[in-house]
Amino acid sequence: MTLLTVENLHTHFVSRSLDNEIRVARALNGVGFSLERGRILGLVGETGAGKSLTALSIMGLLKPPARIVEGRIDFEGRDLAAMPPDELNRLRGDRLALIVQNPRASLDPLARIGEQLARVHRAHRKADVATAHRRAVEMLAAVGLPDPERRARSWPHELSGGMAQRVLIAMALINEPQLVIADEPTTGLDVTVQAQILDLIQGMVRARGLGAIVITHDLGVVAHYCDDIAVMYAGSIVEQGATRDVLADPRHPYTINLVDSTPERLKIGSGRVFGGAPPNLFALPEGCHYRLRCPRATGACAAPPPWVAGVGGRLTRCHHLEPR
Amino acid sequence: MSAAALPPSARPLPSRPLPSRSLPMRLARRVVGIARRSPTLAIGAGIILAFALLAIFHGWAMPHDPVRAYPTEVLKPPSARFWFGTDGNGMDVFSRVIYGTLYAFGIALPSVAIGLLLGVPIGLWTGYRGGMFDETTMRVIDALRVFPIIILALAIVAATGQSLVNVIFVIGLIDAPIFVRVVRAEVLALRSSNFVEAARALGNPTWRILFVHLLPNALRGAIAQTSVRAAWAVRISATLAFLGVGIQQPTPEWGAMIRQGAEFIVTGQWWVAMFPGCALILLVLGFNMFGDGAQDLLDPQRKTGK
Amino acid sequence: MTLSRFLLRRLVFSVPVVIGVLFFTFALVRIGGQDPVALLAGPTATVQEIELVRRELGLDQPFFVQFAIYAQKVLSFDLGKSWLSNKPVLGELLDRLPVTFELMFWGILLGALVGIPVGLHAAFRVDRAFDQISRFVSLLGFSIPTYWLGLVMLFVFFFLLEWAPPGMGRISLIVTPPPRITGSYLIDGLLTANWEAAHSALSQLVLPVICVAIVASAPIIKQTRAMAIEVLGRDYVRLARAAGLPERAVRGIVWRNALVPVATFIGTEITGLVGTASLIEYVFAWGGMGQYGLHAITSGDFAVVQGYVLFLALFSVLVFVIVDVLGFLLEPRAGGGS
Repeated sequence: MTLLTVENLHTHFVSRSLDNEIRVARALNGVGFSLERGRILGLVGETGAGKSLTALSIMGLLKPPARIVEGRIDFEGRDLAAMPPDELNRLRGDRLALIVQNPRASLDPLARIGEQLARVHRAHRKADVATAHRRAVEMLAAVGLPDPERRARSWPHELSGGMAQRVLIAMALINEPQLVIADEPTTGLDVTVQAQILDLIQGMVRARGLGAIVITHDLGVVAHYCDDIAVMYAGSIVEQGATRDVLADPRHPYTINLVDSTPERLKIGSGRVFGGAPPNLFALPEGCHYRLRCPRATGACAAPPPWVAGVGGRLTRCHHLEPR
Repeated sequence: MSAAALPPSARPLPSRPLPSRSLPMRLARRVVGIARRSPTLAIGAGIILAFALLAIFHGWAMPHDPVRAYPTEVLKPPSARFWFGTDGNGMDVFSRVIYGTLYAFGIALPSVAIGLLLGVPIGLWTGYRGGMFDETTMRVIDALRVFPIIILALAIVAATGQSLVNVIFVIGLIDAPIFVRVVRAEVLALRSSNFVEAARALGNPTWRILFVHLLPNALRGAIAQTSVRAAWAVRISATLAFLGVGIQQPTPEWGAMIRQGAEFIVTGQWWVAMFPGCALILLVLGFNMFGDGAQDLLDPQRKTGK
Repeated sequence: MTLSRFLLRRLVFSVPVVIGVLFFTFALVRIGGQDPVALLAGPTATVQEIELVRRELGLDQPFFVQFAIYAQKVLSFDLGKSWLSNKPVLGELLDRLPVTFELMFWGILLGALVGIPVGLHAAFRVDRAFDQISRFVSLLGFSIPTYWLGLVMLFVFFFLLEWAPPGMGRISLIVTPPPRITGSYLIDGLLTANWEAAHSALSQLVLPVICVAIVASAPIIKQTRAMAIEVLGRDYVRLARAAGLPERAVRGIVWRNALVPVATFIGTEITGLVGTASLIEYVFAWGGMGQYGLHAITSGDFAVVQGYVLFLALFSVLVFVIVDVLGFLLEPRAGGGS
């Protein structure tokens, strides 16, 4: 059953230069994907490809000068893109939740852990302080923190990065959301802790049958934890499908480049190096945005590329592919 | 509102010259663009410019000699002949207010220049070198914070003998640590950047790196402070004159004029103190607005909270 | 770290600052190329008096011995004598301290009570009308000469409207001041149930307190706004928004996190404000420490000038320590808890 459908999402930054000219950075250019209940989607791409911006657009957390100029975000039958801010704020932390990177900096330094969790619970549920506190302790236990009663009384600065990330997961799940978005949840954590956190997220999502989006630039993470993958470049998805299919046989030139440049693959690798300048969002090329860096680019690429179907529902956006 | 709020890949490329426009046209667009981005800066610049014009064309703008006393016209309210009235000596307040701009700029500009000349090289050096010298300088500057600045300025001027030159030097000296701090911060941010590393690798001598490579950037960062310090210099010199330290009656200086007007204001002759006070506020406000706006323009994060 | 250890560390760190301050005030009467004895003894001193001062200061001794003598005198609470009143400087200053304190306390309190909410309110609506106006008002506050503000207040509220008494001290000339208990006529009047004195003292207080508040609120508005904007950009505020906390709760988080730095800022501003407020004292003939110090500067009473600058500087060293300790107690990170 479909939980979330994003259609043709365009998010732009509109600003004025010092020369009084309007400048538009086209940060998202027609992002579209859908997510089933109980599945985990990995969103990958280089820095600035629009992964986090997609998450912020869905959550309604864009700040000026960024705004959605076009598109639908269909969540449980309602369009989040057209929803009044207040209403969306009531959904956030309740029906949809965000797990962020940099967990230690994401906790209010002047409130105890339990209090912060209870605060989120009480913002969306009619619960008295004692009930909310019990619920907070329950969640801290559920994310595998030892001695949750004591942890609830801790200050954020007393936690390690891994513990803080578990607290954030507890906070995200405290109101039993249907959709969880994890934006680079393991960046900055120790390698050993990274796997634990991802195992935890995967376990919780599976156990509760939630839909989840994991944003990462680590293909290894996607390979291990995600059912589906969507590869982003310059604010568009260029290839999407089941993780196994896409990683085993990437079809889009950018995905091929991305897979080749990941360390494990370099050994087998074709010798191509991941290179070229990141795209200039103020002046994206017409047609295929990747064509200036693409080894296969031809004159045809100046026209918008078509979606080409592949095996197992895979979609690839390129002029030079035959449907399979 | 700004390019810096964008993700790295979304930042604009270095702006290319627009081929089809003439230079005045481009200049006009830039002025409008800056004014749109920071109206505060634009208004501030306008006020400063207006006062600068008054100072330059004071001879033409003054209807009377600022120190000529009309013995029969003492303490006359504003009229067609004396727009801002006359003071206790029968001098024309309007002409004196205009002449006061010369004192304001004449004290503010050289004292800020002294502050820059002292503070910028020290800031460059401490920031670039670090180590003991930097540590000591910063501790001394920190320690200076415990003194109330106005009292400090007054006390030093009084102790060094009261003259206009001393006033200028003391204001400059008090400004210097502020410039040291600003420039040092700027240099610290740039010290290990690529272009400085490259300059060093190419075997440039230290002075060249400091003055050719780092100075332009450091000065850019000091623009806002310079304007705020100019505001302070105008204010503090008027304060000194108001107290009769450094500048004496009947010099047509705003602070000295307010000093004389203080005697009359509680008996209803408000114009003697009111007009020089308004001129003083307006010019100081102009400098402060310019500085505040410049800070926004140079550091957009400060405004939008990132 | 415990409070006592923190305090000890903080005090140890203050020692070099105190030495620096001492050296500076010591140098103050020696930098102008004028004879320090002439400055300190005053224009009316006789030859014998000058000789006495010269020997007391050890001016025939090397520079550092002179400094040691000065430091020793200061440490034994001897700040020299005023040539105008022929009284010890420290006693004169301490006599007037409560007078200044009364003005500063109400002024800063009022300034903070207005400035902090205005700054917060502006930060929550950056670039909207309220923000633009409050920013302009704050810049205006930075630009108004304090003494002129006092004069205009007197002109409007005393001369034109006749709401306020003349700016001639802390209590009406026809009212007998209450006996000195705290040094504040208002509080002493209330304590001794002398309603007439208390009322007169209160009405004398209003205008100068408003002046101090206006001067104090400009930097408080600016700093509160800047701090709150900084906190608004922190990760924990973004997460609070992402967790769908109502706007009120988000603002609660912001203002509590901005409060400690704002309080620290106000603490560091106090001494500067005493300096600025001395001009207000001067205009209203308030008779406090600030007016006394200004009078000493304009009349060349350098023992008092030296003592006054030293007194203010040491006072701000103390305030900085107190502010840091308060910050320590309020910050759970530092181990104090709340």
